[in-house]
Amino acid sequence: MYATALDERARTIRATTIQMAHDGREGHLNGALSCVELLLCLFDGWLRIPREQEKAPERDRFIFSKGHACASLYAVLAERGYFPVSWLDRYATDDSPLPSHPCIHALPLLDCSAGSLGHGLGMATGKAYGLRLDGNSSRTVALISDGECNEGSTWESATFAASHKLDNLLLIVDNNGVQSVGRSDDLMGGTSLEEKFTSFGWAARTVEGNTTAAVKMALSEVPFVKGKPSVIVAKTTAGAGVSFMQDQVLWHYRVPSDDDLQRALQELGATPLHKRSNP
Amino acid sequence: MRKAFSETLTRLAAADPRIAFVTGDLGFQVFDEFENSFPGRYINAGVAEAQMIYTAAGMASEGWKTVAYSIASFATARPFEQIRYCVAYPNLPVILVGAGRGYLYSTSGVSHHAADDLALMSALPNMTVVAPGDPCEIEQLLPQLFALNGPAYCTVGRFGEPSYLAEEPAVLGKARLLRKGEKVAIIGTGEIANEILKAYDVLTAEGITPFVYQMHTVKPLDTATLGELSQKVETLIVVEEHVPYGGMWSAVADWGVREGLPCRLLRLGPPDSFALGNLKQNELRKRWKFDATAIADACRTAWRR
Repeated sequence: MYATALDERARTIRATTIQMAHDGREGHLNGALSCVELLLCLFDGWLRIPREQEKAPERDRFIFSKGHACASLYAVLAERGYFPVSWLDRYATDDSPLPSHPCIHALPLLDCSAGSLGHGLGMATGKAYGLRLDGNSSRTVALISDGECNEGSTWESATFAASHKLDNLLLIVDNNGVQSVGRSDDLMGGTSLEEKFTSFGWAARTVEGNTTAAVKMALSEVPFVKGKPSVIVAKTTAGAGVSFMQDQVLWHYRVPSDDDLQRALQELGATPLHKRSNP
Repeated sequence: MRKAFSETLTRLAAADPRIAFVTGDLGFQVFDEFENSFPGRYINAGVAEAQMIYTAAGMASEGWKTVAYSIASFATARPFEQIRYCVAYPNLPVILVGAGRGYLYSTSGVSHHAADDLALMSALPNMTVVAPGDPCEIEQLLPQLFALNGPAYCTVGRFGEPSYLAEEPAVLGKARLLRKGEKVAIIGTGEIANEILKAYDVLTAEGITPFVYQMHTVKPLDTATLGELSQKVETLIVVEEHVPYGGMWSAVADWGVREGLPCRLLRLGPPDSFALGNLKQNELRKRWKFDATAIADACRTAWRR
């Protein structure tokens, strides 16, 4: 299989993310690594969010709801030039623009803070409804974890989005299968997210979420059905890209040691965008 | 008060095209005029209080001024985290409206009691908390709440409370003098003001003339007026239809301790207890000794001290 430029960049984002987790002494690598391709594809020209004009009314809105996994979001935003790469070494430090859970007061270019799970889709529905009422054709995207589909509020929001025919809304579920202390299949009775969303009135599609071509293809077809909200159920791997982290509950919390970091960087064959000079 | 709220909201929405209204499937026929006048700006989120808050907050983050409406217990306790995280923390202009706070729906049971709403909402940074006492007060305060352009909680009573006379208009953040007096001051918030005024009428017939203040704004507390008042009287009586923790009593007592209160401070209100027995509201007030009779008794005793 040949590697695209996007796949190359994915390796660099992963290396950067693991470096940040190491330097900032923050875990949550499972979810940060599982959504790298999703973030890269969204920010590879699909999302219309002009740099320096992140609050322009006509921009697309993006809510990263799985706040704990934000290291890779920060890495992608830095790589895309939304803020200097040098900021990355302030990840999870005091008074940082890049706290361990994203905060709009710390990083105002964001559309939403995140940390408490299950709010991202709801906020997105309110935005999408308000934008449409304004005659604004901007799209609203929420990226949530499969664990957030445990939250009842997610399904209140799913109901609302379908009943109001919010086809300006795209939900992406990072279905990496691993939660904080268990596996999502066990916690959700092995049920299908695509079927659930379909039965809630959504246009749903399941894709290989760590494959950039598949993600790009799905994004290019949004909205899947006119008059329905779209959801991409992205089948991903927790801790994707690093053999000894992949698909293990342990790496939800674990902070990489010096040794873990070196092994991961070696395996990825990539150099982090930035690392703390004096960690 | 509910009619006054609906009419005022509709009037304000006619003047401001950014005002929208979200209900948690409540207010049958109350908001028909709003719904008919402003299609799209009336949204029924369904029996889904979390989603009600998300809709209001998400729209507010896109420049709308939203009102989220439900029965007070379902508007506050049920979606508390949504209010905290999606409204108060991002400091969005959402006016949360809780209908029938306290024990207005007393016979419906504990599910419908909202005797902890002021505590819950006051605990949130950025949140302004208001409990009007009559139709005129909500009519005066609602535009002031929109002008805040930030998070607020406002309560609405039932249909058909009387409007009371006052010595001054209702100004957000300022205690409202309802009756001038001396020696003793009775202060309340929300529609318990009507009970206090009933007691006042009994007392004046006996030659007892206390001050009566309506503290419609629970947060921020008007400590300036309280400070002046505490210099003028011997006893301050706080009447509240709220649990003893976190409501008006708590706020006044907290301020009093910090400032070194020069007068006596009394509380009339429910105990730290769920209101069981499905009593009617007036029976409950009687049982827990914060009805007009109990208020008059407490004031009389304080007056003769």
